[in-house]
Amino acid sequence: MLVLSRKAGETIYIGEDIEIVISEVKGEQVKIGIRAPRNIDIIRGELRQDVSASNTEAVITNLDIFKKIKE
Amino acid sequence: MNIQTAYFGEVEIDPTNILTFQFGLPGFENEKEYILLPLEENSVFQVLQSVQSAALTFIITNPYDITTNYSFDLEEATIHALEIKDEKEVAVFAIVTLKETIAKSTINLKAPIVLNTTNKKAKQVILNNEDYLIRHLISSESKEG
Repeated sequence: MLVLSRKAGETIYIGEDIEIVISEVKGEQVKIGIRAPRNIDIIRGELRQDVSASNTEAVITNLDIFKKIKE
Repeated sequence: MNIQTAYFGEVEIDPTNILTFQFGLPGFENEKEYILLPLEENSVFQVLQSVQSAALTFIITNPYDITTNYSFDLEEATIHALEIKDEKEVAVFAIVTLKETIAKSTINLKAPIVLNTTNKKAKQVILNNEDYLIRHLISSESKEG
C-alpha cells in the first residue's frame, strides 16, 4: 500500500478526477474531503465490512426452514 | 447449460438469464455470475445461486413484499454501472439471512441488490439512508408476524 504523509489543508489526487483533501486533523480523528465524479461509489470501510459479514451470514446452510413453513 | 447446486442438484439454466455482478458481492468479490431459481414452497422468496460455486446460495426476496414504504434513489454510480436507461427496467431484491424461524430472520434493506432486467447487470448497492438496517427483523413487519 502506498502511504503518504499529509497535513491539514493538503491534498492528494488519484488519477485526473479524484481529489482527496485532508480537511482537519483533531486528536484521533481526521476529516477527509473527497471530490470525485458521481459515477464513483464512496463508502465507509466499516459499512462495507458489515455488509460483507452479513452476506457471509446469509449464505444458506439448509432449506429446512421452508419445509416447516409449508406445514 | 447445466450447473451444480447444493439444494436442487444439477439444474439446467438458460445462459441468457445469468445475472452479472461486475465486482461480485461484498465478501464474495470473485463470484460474478448468479442465476435466480424459484423456491417453489414459498413464492415470496427466491434463490440467488452462484453459477460457479454450488455451495454459494442466497435467499432473496422482494423488499416491497416484506416492508412498507421502502424506497431509495438510485445513485449515479449505479445507473452508470448497470447502464440503466429507464426505471421500468430496474428490479430490486433484498438478501435474507435465515434463522430458525422466518420471524427471527432478517433482511438486508441497507444493501439491496439492484438489477437491470434488460442487460442482466446487477449490483449490491449500499445506501446512505440511516433508516434502513443491514439486519432488519422480518418479524418487525406485522404482515409476516
